[in-house]
Amino acid sequence: MRITLAAPCARGLTVFCLLPFLAIPGTVQGQTDYFNTDRGRPLHVQDAITIEQYAFELQAAPIRWERTPGSFVVWSLEPEIAYGVLPRTQLEIGLPLYVTDGIGDGTRKGVGAVHLSVIHALNVETLGLPALGVHAALSIPAGDFGPRRTYGTLGALVTRTTSLGRIHLNADATGGPAVAPSEPDANPGAAELSRWTLGVAADRTMPLRSLLFGAEVVAAQPFQDDSEVEWRAAAGVRWQVNPYWAFDAGLGRSFGDEHEWSLTFGAARSFGLIRFIPGGRR
Amino acid sequence: MRLNMLKRALRAGMLCVALAAPAGAQWSTVSEQYYLPASHNWVFRREHPVADRLFNAFDYGHAILYEVFWARPSAPVSVLERDEYEFITRRLLVNPPRLPLEEAAIAPNYSRLAPEAKAMFEWAHLLHRQIYDVLADNRLGEAERDREVARLVSYYRSRPDLAFSTKPKGMSLMEGQPYSLAFRKKYPKFNGLIWAYHWLQVGLYDALLTGKTPDERSTLITAAVARFREMLHDAPRTMPYVMPMTPGVAPVFTQRYPDAAAIFDNLHSMHDVISDILLSDAVPRDKKRAEILLAASRYRDDTTEVITSSEWLGMAAAMGVENQGGPVVGVLTTPPKPTVELGAVMQHDSTRKMDEHAAHRMPADTVARLADTLARAPDDAAARERLVNALFRLLDDPEVQRRVAADSALRRSLHDLLPLIPEEHRDHYRMLVRMPPPSAPRPGGI
Repeated sequence: MRITLAAPCARGLTVFCLLPFLAIPGTVQGQTDYFNTDRGRPLHVQDAITIEQYAFELQAAPIRWERTPGSFVVWSLEPEIAYGVLPRTQLEIGLPLYVTDGIGDGTRKGVGAVHLSVIHALNVETLGLPALGVHAALSIPAGDFGPRRTYGTLGALVTRTTSLGRIHLNADATGGPAVAPSEPDANPGAAELSRWTLGVAADRTMPLRSLLFGAEVVAAQPFQDDSEVEWRAAAGVRWQVNPYWAFDAGLGRSFGDEHEWSLTFGAARSFGLIRFIPGGRR
Repeated sequence: MRLNMLKRALRAGMLCVALAAPAGAQWSTVSEQYYLPASHNWVFRREHPVADRLFNAFDYGHAILYEVFWARPSAPVSVLERDEYEFITRRLLVNPPRLPLEEAAIAPNYSRLAPEAKAMFEWAHLLHRQIYDVLADNRLGEAERDREVARLVSYYRSRPDLAFSTKPKGMSLMEGQPYSLAFRKKYPKFNGLIWAYHWLQVGLYDALLTGKTPDERSTLITAAVARFREMLHDAPRTMPYVMPMTPGVAPVFTQRYPDAAAIFDNLHSMHDVISDILLSDAVPRDKKRAEILLAASRYRDDTTEVITSSEWLGMAAAMGVENQGGPVVGVLTTPPKPTVELGAVMQHDSTRKMDEHAAHRMPADTVARLADTLARAPDDAAARERLVNALFRLLDDPEVQRRVAADSALRRSLHDLLPLIPEEHRDHYRMLVRMPPPSAPRPGGI
């Protein structure tokens, strides 16, 4: 497998990935972001907790590698930024970039769908009630690897804490026309979407080391007609290395015909910008 | 038929109401907010890493205490007084965590019992840390420091659902409730540990304010941390005997930033209150959340049990800084000797007086110690001013005046201090210590 990136694309990616490592004037960094899990970092299932109001969180280098037995390889990078726009509410925007090998003719690279989403935590967990959240997302066409039309997703998030750790339940459904099994390439981004997804995850924290371990099982119904439910399992870790950075890494496997393996690695930096805080300059 | 349907609907309605009430009491929408971005963020961590890491460890102590009280109500006293105390003092404080801790991971059950109180503590702890950053930032001048602290307090107060009041509160909130004193009586070592935390947390402000250069500040902080570690040697004998109050331990900080000082005193009081509520049998288990929320609202509002600033300062002085762990800035070269019983209680009908046992000895002993300290530290103008102010506050108390009148040795040492008293206050001072006025020069005499 050989990954090649066109020079301008590589330069752009490099700049984007280095951006958060550079000093940003007027910023302040987070402290325990490792505890607040995000979709795909490293697990698909996330908690029902949003980032703090007025906080930004930049997923700086979320790299994912997937490989199927047929030697199809996909590298993806989905830089994403989230902002705590209201109490218990965050907005996110992400743009996945793909490099594939073995799919079609040689190596292909391109942009996927623009992911725009909002998550709202309805409450904070208490002894009597779990944390409940809702999310809504749009996948907007943006490049060769994205869908040909906009798809909307609605979902729910639940987090329940026990003395042993936390359990998270995520469910979501996506609307829009299905893709015919005979022509998945006609709408490649849609083929990557799921009609519905149901996932459960458990995590356990080592608070004195700022470490979190988690594992999940996810069932997903692909968008293609007549396709069967896919099952995936994954495990991962999140680690706060200093007040500025939280790293994550995960390993996943899908069960079914494809037996796909995936690896992911990411780094998140959270920060605040004074100009986004009402009255902060006074 | 219709009657049956109506009955069924009524029953269903009643069931919904019955279920909704407890669910409503459990529905919490408290939200977190990011702290104020500024150029001084994380300066304290960079400049004073040893003290900063200790503060990370302190988070564990509070969290595990609440978790044990709530999740293991029948746990033997030794779980905290021996096992956790030894873990904290022999391992955690020796090698503290590098980063602030996630309290929800240490105390998952307590955090869900009262997430509102947890959020209040976290919000106040952020203010604590951000003020350390301001005072540790060597790039800031005095006026910039004042401006930044005012900005931080204003930002903190922008969350009235989380912010402690800037009005000082009387001791009856902490010591006069049905549940009060449960913690300090049953867990004297762990209680002393928490008070030692609070001593260092507020005391470092005076170390940062009193040091005029970066080196001086580092030296004072190192000395304060060393004194804190000394407190752990023979607990609870070596711990603070009463709750350290910001005006007592950090008088310079209190004088300069009274709003922040009152916030921290209210914060530290509520820490004790929650320990008492969780531990005390006077509060049934199913009422603990409601009692915590009630206490939290009392510490947030600007009306409940508010005392005046002079009452607050007088109370701190009357409690005796030596009973609160001693001053942070080096006016004492040896550990102070407490003058009250461990966990002594303030009298609640008058914030100026201690209970019977303490009232007999504490203020006068404090005067003696202050007089001694003042006599030995005349070169530091700021310290002298602080000590003189404290002395005047104490001498204003009629009980102290009676003690001075009855103690000729104390009176003599107070008379000897006259040259250190500013000229304009000497007449007042003479009156307070029953010193005869200076003899007028004889007209034309030699």
